[in-house]
Amino acid sequence: MIERHLHAVRTDAPADESIAATRERLAGAFPRGSTRRMTQLGLLLGGVLSDLATGEEDAIVYASTYAETRALEDYLASFPTPSPTLFQTSIHPSAIQQVLIARQQPVREFFPHTGRDQLVAHALQSAALAAAPRVIVCGGEEHGTWLAEQNAASPHAFAFAFALSVDPAGAVGHLRLESTDSPTGELALPEFFNALHQRSPLSRDVAPGLRLTLTWR
Amino acid sequence: MIRGAPAAVNAPLPSSISLAATDCLTAFGDARQTHRALLESRRALAFHPVLGGDGGDPVPLALAAGHAYDETVPPSWLEPLAGLAARLPDDPWGTARFPVFVTSSNFGVGSLHAFRRTGDARHLRYGTPFATVEVLRERFGWGPNVAVVSHACVSAHLGLLLATRSLERGLATRALVFSFDFVSPFVAGGFHALKILNAGLPAPYSAAGTTGSIGLGDGAAFAVLAPAAGGARPALRLTAQTLHNEMHHFTANRSDGAGFAACLAPVQTTLARRRFWIKGHGTGTLEAGRLEAATLARLFPSAPLVAWKGSLGHTLGSCGLVELAIVGEALRAGMVPGTVGTEPPFFSDAVAAEPFPSRDYDGVLLTSNAFGGAHAACFLSHD
Repeated sequence: MIERHLHAVRTDAPADESIAATRERLAGAFPRGSTRRMTQLGLLLGGVLSDLATGEEDAIVYASTYAETRALEDYLASFPTPSPTLFQTSIHPSAIQQVLIARQQPVREFFPHTGRDQLVAHALQSAALAAAPRVIVCGGEEHGTWLAEQNAASPHAFAFAFALSVDPAGAVGHLRLESTDSPTGELALPEFFNALHQRSPLSRDVAPGLRLTLTWR
Repeated sequence: MIRGAPAAVNAPLPSSISLAATDCLTAFGDARQTHRALLESRRALAFHPVLGGDGGDPVPLALAAGHAYDETVPPSWLEPLAGLAARLPDDPWGTARFPVFVTSSNFGVGSLHAFRRTGDARHLRYGTPFATVEVLRERFGWGPNVAVVSHACVSAHLGLLLATRSLERGLATRALVFSFDFVSPFVAGGFHALKILNAGLPAPYSAAGTTGSIGLGDGAAFAVLAPAAGGARPALRLTAQTLHNEMHHFTANRSDGAGFAACLAPVQTTLARRRFWIKGHGTGTLEAGRLEAATLARLFPSAPLVAWKGSLGHTLGSCGLVELAIVGEALRAGMVPGTVGTEPPFFSDAVAAEPFPSRDYDGVLLTSNAFGGAHAACFLSHD
């Protein structure tokens, strides 16, 4: 069994907000002039991470099923003269890199996870096994356009971040991962986000052999 | 229950993790075939139009046998990949005690490009990371305990570290790290747009040219990790792993090379008493190659440095695992391939252009780098 305490849980559920509106709403979370080329997911993550002062020895675990959907769509649309900027922005860990490059904040360990049904389980397990005293767990999606119509992108935008540590002081929640005999288990990112956003408890098998219990103070 | 403070970040591994099995797939074939080709200084890279059937500039690509560059339905790389998976040890992969860590930077993104190009919706079955991994899981008979990680060209190293931690905490009996990246117009078009995939062939660590060039290559590999049983001393042992992310610029490193040194700082003490050689990243770009070679020569002046992307191309998120499999074969065969495709003068005197015997060494440092100034390294010990 692995237990950790949740600190500074932050969520953002902007529904169908445009990227221009997101950029304007969250401009204060970024150094001046740094948001012009940021994606909506980068902006949303920068927003929820804004008061979590990430340090070099923190580990960051990032979870997203689709990640940089809009950059991916626009990069594909740029063929036969592919855009170099959209190419580099379309890679899976780009949103976090946008945020930390804007802050010029190095970090030793950064684990960008993807997947779907067991994504939450594996991201939380990575966080729980990290050697760093504090682990920042974050994730989210941006809503797609033509890829969403093909069920190849998220229909909703959302983002979350929290810090995990062994320190109970000031914690707002508690997380426990237990080994089980269950051969199955799943928890997708939108459902985990809803639990964080609504401060709802969770107790279920989230992957083969792994049970998650999330409680709130 | 784990309640105490976590161990120091990036400390050398408290117990040896055995590299129980490994193999790879490259344009030359499996690890043994690839190793032999590298010893013979052969290049797999050949020139192809960057946009495949849509034409474009010729660029150096190393495509695996059976892989059509313009994506098909199902993807033509699926059969060669199944051939690699057929060589996995017979364990119940994807169940609770036998986790799989899939790593890739591309997954089936070539299928998204093909969908956009042709409108054929059948490509979409392979177009997202989870969909691609689900196809592999069904095809290879794995259970659902498959963690998926994607961090550009250090992806495979992250899989190795996560698998190691699962074993160290007793959460797994054996762990499989499986990585695959197949080149498509999507990724070649991107690197061509960045102007580093061009009409030149890569010459890793060479200071002779004025233009840096990379090649891209198909690559897939696996590594089976296991705890060292009952105090036994396995033949190949992962004894240190380390990461660092500069977060300085998307496509450039800090100009003083500090990111390369920061990654290796936690393992310097461990390596101080070892006689080892270095399998570097060595893509063929000038600035990163200069920084990498200079930093490694400064930190480890007696360690020969080799890189194989001048022959195989850059196998992207899978490069760390592909090159680990080749290292394993080099140690088995007793000969280390030199840096293929390069020419003096080099950025450092440590660059080895010719093959050399492995018997004089007791370890190998493997390094990889990625977008965002990401750095990763692991140390493989052997007797």
